[in-house]
Amino acid sequence: MKLLYILTPLAPLCGAIAAGFFGKKLGRVNSHRVTIGGVGIAFLFSLIALFANLSGDGSVFDETIYTWMISGGITFEVGFLVDRLTVVMMTVVTSVSLMVHIYTIGYMHDDPGYQRFFSYISLFTFAMLMLVMANNFMQLFFGWEAVGLVSYLLIGFWYKKPTAIFANLKAFLVNRVGDFGFLLGIAAVLMYTGTLNYGETFAAAPELVGQTMELFPGTAWSVLTVTCICLFIGAMGKSAQIPLHVWLPDSMEGPTPISALIHAATMVTAGIFMVARMSPLFELSETALSFVLIIGSLTALLMGLVGIVQNDIKRVVAYSTLSQLGYMTVALGASAYSAAIFHLMTHAFFKALLFLAAGSVIIGMHHEQDIRKMGGLKKYMPITYWTSLIGTLALIGFPGFSGFFSKDAIIEAVHGSHITGSGFAYICVLLGVFITAFYSFRMFFLVFHGKERFDEHTREHLHESPKVVTVPLILLAIPSVILGGFTIGAMLFGDYFGNAIYVAEQHDVLAELGSHYHGALNFVLHGLQTPPFYLAAAGTLSAGVIYLYKPEIAEWFYKKFGFVHRLLDNKYGFDDFNQKVFAGGSLRIADKLWSVGDVKLIDGLMVNGTANSIGLFSQFARKLQSGYLYHYAFAMIIGLLAMLFIFIFTT
Amino acid sequence: MDFKLFVFWVFSLVLVGAAVGVITTRNPVQAALFLVLAFFNSAIIWMLMEAEFLAITLVLVYVGAVMVLFLFVVMMLDINTLPAREGFTRYLPVGALVVGAIIVQMVFLIRVRWFSADDYPVPTPRGADYSNTEELGRAMYTDYLFQFEVAAVILLVAIIAAIALTMRRRPETKYQRPAEQINVKKEDRLRVVSMDSES
Amino acid sequence: MDNIGLATGEIFLLCAICVILIGDLFVSENRRQMSYLLSQLTLVITLILTWVVAPETGSATAFGGSFVMDPMSKLCKSWILVVSIGVFLYSRDYINARRIMNGEYYTLALSGVLGMMIMVSSSTMLTLYLGLELLSLSLYALVALNRTDEKSSEAAMKYFVLGALASGALLYGISMIYGATGSLHFDVIAAKLGEDSSSTAAVFGLAFVVVGIAFKFGAAPFHMWVPDVYEGAPTSVTLYISSAPKIAAFAISMRFLVDGLETAHASWQGMLIILSVLSIVIGNVIALAQVSIKRMLAYSTISHVGFILMGILAGNDQGYSASMFYAITYALTSMGAFGILLAMGRAGVEINLLTDLRGLFRRNPVYAAVMMVLLVSMAGVPPTVGFYAKLAVLNAVVQADLVWLAVLAVVFSVVGAFYYLRVIKYMFFDEPAETQPVDSSLDVQVGLTINGAAMILFGVFPGLIMAACVAAFAG
Repeated sequence: MKLLYILTPLAPLCGAIAAGFFGKKLGRVNSHRVTIGGVGIAFLFSLIALFANLSGDGSVFDETIYTWMISGGITFEVGFLVDRLTVVMMTVVTSVSLMVHIYTIGYMHDDPGYQRFFSYISLFTFAMLMLVMANNFMQLFFGWEAVGLVSYLLIGFWYKKPTAIFANLKAFLVNRVGDFGFLLGIAAVLMYTGTLNYGETFAAAPELVGQTMELFPGTAWSVLTVTCICLFIGAMGKSAQIPLHVWLPDSMEGPTPISALIHAATMVTAGIFMVARMSPLFELSETALSFVLIIGSLTALLMGLVGIVQNDIKRVVAYSTLSQLGYMTVALGASAYSAAIFHLMTHAFFKALLFLAAGSVIIGMHHEQDIRKMGGLKKYMPITYWTSLIGTLALIGFPGFSGFFSKDAIIEAVHGSHITGSGFAYICVLLGVFITAFYSFRMFFLVFHGKERFDEHTREHLHESPKVVTVPLILLAIPSVILGGFTIGAMLFGDYFGNAIYVAEQHDVLAELGSHYHGALNFVLHGLQTPPFYLAAAGTLSAGVIYLYKPEIAEWFYKKFGFVHRLLDNKYGFDDFNQKVFAGGSLRIADKLWSVGDVKLIDGLMVNGTANSIGLFSQFARKLQSGYLYHYAFAMIIGLLAMLFIFIFTT
Repeated sequence: MDFKLFVFWVFSLVLVGAAVGVITTRNPVQAALFLVLAFFNSAIIWMLMEAEFLAITLVLVYVGAVMVLFLFVVMMLDINTLPAREGFTRYLPVGALVVGAIIVQMVFLIRVRWFSADDYPVPTPRGADYSNTEELGRAMYTDYLFQFEVAAVILLVAIIAAIALTMRRRPETKYQRPAEQINVKKEDRLRVVSMDSES
Repeated sequence: MDNIGLATGEIFLLCAICVILIGDLFVSENRRQMSYLLSQLTLVITLILTWVVAPETGSATAFGGSFVMDPMSKLCKSWILVVSIGVFLYSRDYINARRIMNGEYYTLALSGVLGMMIMVSSSTMLTLYLGLELLSLSLYALVALNRTDEKSSEAAMKYFVLGALASGALLYGISMIYGATGSLHFDVIAAKLGEDSSSTAAVFGLAFVVVGIAFKFGAAPFHMWVPDVYEGAPTSVTLYISSAPKIAAFAISMRFLVDGLETAHASWQGMLIILSVLSIVIGNVIALAQVSIKRMLAYSTISHVGFILMGILAGNDQGYSASMFYAITYALTSMGAFGILLAMGRAGVEINLLTDLRGLFRRNPVYAAVMMVLLVSMAGVPPTVGFYAKLAVLNAVVQADLVWLAVLAVVFSVVGAFYYLRVIKYMFFDEPAETQPVDSSLDVQVGLTINGAAMILFGVFPGLIMAACVAAFAG
């Protein structure tokens, strides 16, 4: 098994190296063959690992593969921890990645950076696998940074497009903020437990309860709370939670397959995964859990609202991703880690499906992304239409679809939670259901139904996308429908995760839910009688009414409540605020620092001063090397003299 | 002061004097002869320490062979030695100062106590039937075999190096190559050119 | 004849040298490839034999305790042989193109390797001295091998005279130690000094020994020969001098200072501090003012030697293993750098000036990349191996409470980074003086690429070498 685990991340890495360095020699077809081969192997191995883990006795693989170095008693190593949480993530990552690889053949068909693109996405798969399979914080951080790097590269894939460059810079900077928190968290773990290994950290964690540290003189902070919040700040950056969410919508500048793979299905869920992995730490700090809960619920509600006013097809899906990430975070805050991972899994499939469907529409429309210029595409693109419908139904949580199970479980879990902020969170997630349904169907109706709002030229070329695009859509649509119903019993209420996730007894809301659980069908029937279902239905209906039959309602609302629209359109002003205060302010400060500190002090006095004096000295010292033998011999004799002096003085 | 000590002092002084002579005299032949003197004196000091074999070998090999060869070379080449000496007086004060410092340090270290005669008892004299040569041979071929072999390798390398550095084929020297001379064909030497007749 | 089998590697090497020496006489001028292939074969077989006969754990002696095979000697010998294989590979085309005595180059170089192996395995002062002389003699001859070149002869002359002076000092020191302890064996010396503290002082021969070792290392202020010899010698010989002998020099320092005179640690620590500080300062600073790449690398060697000495002077196992790691990886780095110069300078052009590297990137991007990795590694930038080596040494020095030394070393490494970067700038951003691409035979290309890749490989996975280094001193 060990070899299998080592090969799983290495296979995509080999593909990435082959396509990256020898892409020109290999040619397009061979490049995609080799990368798809690599990811295919990884997928196969992940499946083997999954089944081995399901059929086995639940024993956990936790071994160090290679010790990188030992410094001051701290070991830095590469190791794998493969438990049931890991295999779920591995399977999700490799399967979505495989679909995206295949889809890319069609989507990037005419792009000059074809091989580069394949190399990047394979590299991403490698990094993501390293992240989820890590058994220590150092490797986690490596994977964390590596996926961030690939994401940066891919957002700016079309590097000649200024908006893409702006977006990737933004993603990079915002993620730096999160990573800084994350690094502080890791440092705190290292400082208080003396180890980077998960197992040892978790074993040492209970002793930290009640310990305090002084962040500012005279204040006492719980060590665990500070550590957990720092780690969570890292998750906020990667998983785009308010207020570090601003990069995700802009990341849609990258090619659509990337939006599906990285910015919907896998990388952005790394934060969720990380918190679930750290459950033994988070469980010990209720303050941190409340923090997580409130941030998550704010994200879930507010980002959904923004989704209503967006007109770019990909941005709508992006905001819906933000809002769904909020749901997962809420689940984490309510200690329903399994529910978060469950939603992560179902979301990965239906959101990848929605993105790829959006991509398919974009191809059909010749890279037109504005939904106001679409409409009535149903008859032109039937496969895309039906798969989108499935994705949308899964997203809004239509009973029986996989999204329904996971979302309902989260809402119920929040309902059952008792920690601070859970009441507020419950309201947020309930409203979120209505909003999700509203914006999802707004987009769906605007794109596929109603009047055709595009020109004659587009219509002539409009047709269903090629097989490499539609096949992944269909393959992704299947799990979007059935996955939830099949796995809910085991993942949420069975003891599937075992020791991989730890939940303190007083927080265990899922166990409470589990006592009322009688099979998936009953869950659906029960779902029909709860508020979320009615809210979703109301959202769908109102979207249908407003955007298909009575557009004047939207007009009226727009006139009456213009300020609300402006607020949403400006995304609550986060971007402007960042732009003015952080970007502008730091530019001004940097300018001053540069002109005074850098140019005068450092450059003038220290760097150039040192360089000049060293240069002078070196010119002088060079003259000592005269080339005369007796000078050399004389220098040696002087040296001997010095050695003897030292000898005399030390004895 | 017994007789042996007296002999030691006399020959040591002559030895040091001869050694100084080697590096100060201007005439290379004289320098070589000083060196011969130094060898003789050290041979006698070895003799005092009952190392007869080494003493005789020193005289035979160094005085008898190496130095004679050396003298031949010096005399035959007739080197003009004056320019090599030019810097001598100029650097003498600095050199003397440093050498003086080192001597002071060494005397300081050695004299103080660590090399006093008490620490090193006089070895017991051997009987008349004790063969120095035999003992040396035994030590060399048993205890120090490895070192002996390595020393032999060093000599081998020295020979290779000497030959590699001195044996040269001068490009300007003309050799006869009989094989080529015999195998030569007329085409190699003679070129028949057909030319239009100039009218 | 106890345990004579332990020296099978050395014995085989000696026999092979004789075979190559004689065989070379009978092959015609244009089939000189023979000597090269035989030499490489010899090195490989010697490597295998060394591994086969080395004891699994602990140490074993032969020849009445004159010859020792312990983990350190096994490791050092292996790397000396590996590096020598690379050296021969890179030198071959250079020698062929210039018709510098082919057979002699290999015989002399091989006898130098034999000398190094004897040094590494020596457990008496006499063996050590003889091994050292064997190496030195081979080197003197190698430097002078290109007789038509005046610079080469001048360099050889300087090297020889100064080397004789250093050998004299070393021998004087050895005789002092022998006089004080009555033994040539390091273990006996150590025992004697341990039991009798009054004779600790009697080893004032130590100062002379340190002079001898410092000269062989090329540490300041006994470094004067290094730039002249590096510049004057044929590049293939420079390549040889700059690589494997550093490992051997490390080994003899360990034998002398740690195996023999560890009780005098306080004394030699002070001396090595002076040597290492001077080396790092002088090496890095004067390198800035160089216009010749070979001289620049010579001064860079001096500064690296300072680091190697720093690990030894720390006086703990951590320092010794760090220093060993440094010596081995530096030998690999230096080998690669001169290998590139050799590969570039083949077609009748000698690479000497820094500006000769201009635009290497346009002429051969792979070599430019390899050279960049090597230089970056010398500068000590992560993730290359040079960074980890420096880190390990500095760590050991800090453990030994010599923080100021570590700080100084870091400051001057930063100074040093400048001249490495300058070369990188020349290679990548300047226009080449000639546009003709640099090309060389396939095996050299592969060798250099592996060499460059190894810098990163060992930088990311230093444990591959470090584990063995730590184990060698863990006893």
